Amino acid sequence: MADKKQVTIHNAPKATWNKEILSEIDYKATNGKYRIRGCGSPRPMPKFDDLMILPSQLTRMPIDTYREDCETRTVLGARFAKKPLIIETPVMIAGMSYGALSKEAKIALAKATKLVGTVISNGEGGILPEELENSYRQSVQILASRMGFTRRNMEVADMLEVLYGIGAKPGLSGHLMGEKISEEIAEVRKIPIGIDLHSHPRAGDAFGADDMVVKMQQLREMTDWETPIFCKIAAGRVRDDIKIAIKLGFDGIILDGCSAGTGAAPVMATDHLGIPTMPALVAAVRTLEEMGVKEEMSLIVSGGITNGADLAKALAIGADAVAIGTAAMVAMGCRVCMNCQTGKCAFGIGTQDPELRQNLDVDEAAERVANYIKAITAETVLLAKSAGKTKLKNLEREDLRALTLEACAMTGIPLVGSDLVIGKGFGFSADNGL
Amino acid sequence: MEYLDLAKVENEKVNVLIKDKLKESNELVLKNVNSMHNICAGLSGDCQVTIEDSTGLYTGSFLEGPTLRIKGNVGWYAGDDMMSGELIVEKNTGCNIGAYINGGTIVIYGNTGSRVGYGMKGGNIIVCGSAGRWAGVMAMGGDLIILGALGKECGESMYSGKIFTRDPEAESKMGGNVFYDTITAAETEKLDHLFSQYEIAADGKDFHVIRPVLSGRHEYALFKPDLKPELAKKYFVKRG
Repeated sequence: MADKKQVTIHNAPKATWNKEILSEIDYKATNGKYRIRGCGSPRPMPKFDDLMILPSQLTRMPIDTYREDCETRTVLGARFAKKPLIIETPVMIAGMSYGALSKEAKIALAKATKLVGTVISNGEGGILPEELENSYRQSVQILASRMGFTRRNMEVADMLEVLYGIGAKPGLSGHLMGEKISEEIAEVRKIPIGIDLHSHPRAGDAFGADDMVVKMQQLREMTDWETPIFCKIAAGRVRDDIKIAIKLGFDGIILDGCSAGTGAAPVMATDHLGIPTMPALVAAVRTLEEMGVKEEMSLIVSGGITNGADLAKALAIGADAVAIGTAAMVAMGCRVCMNCQTGKCAFGIGTQDPELRQNLDVDEAAERVANYIKAITAETVLLAKSAGKTKLKNLEREDLRALTLEACAMTGIPLVGSDLVIGKGFGFSADNGL
Repeated sequence: MEYLDLAKVENEKVNVLIKDKLKESNELVLKNVNSMHNICAGLSGDCQVTIEDSTGLYTGSFLEGPTLRIKGNVGWYAGDDMMSGELIVEKNTGCNIGAYINGGTIVIYGNTGSRVGYGMKGGNIIVCGSAGRWAGVMAMGGDLIILGALGKECGESMYSGKIFTRDPEAESKMGGNVFYDTITAAETEKLDHLFSQYEIAADGKDFHVIRPVLSGRHEYALFKPDLKPELAKKYFVKRG
């Protein structure tokens, strides 16, 4: 009888023990600590692609794609502020800090806002003077760290964002590795050069919503009720958080889903904290409607916005605008290598290395970002006109249908074909005979 | 000198009224403040305001220039984001006084709560009494001077700035990423100058300084799980 031969199976699919998991375990076994990563989570998340837009046919007239207008101008923060923010497209540049990004990248983004007439948020760590000088409209974040923030920042702001969290790492403070804290960054942030920065996790001047009621009064007095004041929150307990934001008297909310990016975050945080942008947006809109403030309170959504379809669907669900971060970086040349935290960005975007920074041509990058914003605005206009709208803000949830059962259940938007609604309807009848 | 009785004034209208009154005189006394919030928030210019009783939250926040004296007690967050000027409290305060202060001087003649000088970036904060825990936590500049007893975790994760103390047990009350150091002659001189200016009976030579560790990487006591297998042995139950 022949000897039994051991059979080796090559290339068997491994659902759990795939290359990424093995690499993760190797890293932890070697270093005894968790990993930090740039950009955000690579995990597949439910997204706006799971929805479709209904075109106008016999039920309504389409608007001529090439010869008729569709208004893109957007007014934000008109709830209480005497001088709401008016931008030409419902696309803003999200808060990305000078530190996470190079000076050149920040200036390019600011210049892009001037080319298309929108607003840029400064991100953590003060305002780079060149950003302020070049931006069309400037949003200033009031963060828990308050690095580089003074009364002067409030005076120049066209919009204020009280930041409670970001989608990529909600509940965590900012990370900026020592490699990125150059002399210039240290000067703007008023911190030592080269130190690993784990910034303040919660505001030292408002421990909880009760105090924030009084703080809001202070901010209103400081701005003479002129500047729109938003809060930026990561998507988590959206319904409860939005209710508190309404009660606190904000003019608007920036809702950051867990698909959002960041310069550096623990892998565990980006992959497992928060909820995705699309269902978070639905929850926010439901809450604003429930509280009777949908028309007066602005809602900006961010996290994984890539094209005009995302924008059109977000607007149709009920957002007033979107904020883009990673997409703007990609427009400048970023290839999403997810190593922003190392500070060695070859494209001169996520680095403070003087040599690498030279790789970014500021004017060319500004033009590319502006082109990208124009293009996605045009895409959105195309979809809106096809749906019979003469204004982007007229996109409505009735224009949407869900492609998958999951999207239908998450959003309350009817399933394509059957018009089945699972769970709580989102302004649609859930009478499915179920 | 002008007087303003705030007994029947709505909270939202107080600061407008104060600013109007200061156009008539740069010295103003406020009566019956009754612990209202946001008193003198954002007040600027060269003026002196005295509050005869106690105040609520955010007293003198974003202050820029004036001298604000409160004869009573003061609530949380007084002097937050202050730019310059003086905030003088004759009695005690709540927590988080001088959070994110950029400049100016805060003097508390009584005790203060936790997290005084939270994330402070400049200026001086003098506490004549004791301070609660986490004083100067994550400070990014400025001088915090505490004459009385320190609370626990003092100076945790400071990035810059100094905490002056004469608490004999200070070393056992410090947070992470700071060290205990002797005071320099220049620092002693600065302290003595401030003590003289605010009529505080203290000698700069009696103080030590808590300074931030400025190496590249902070260590956090609670960051890594502190696994102690030896201690866990007492929970071991022999199977059998």
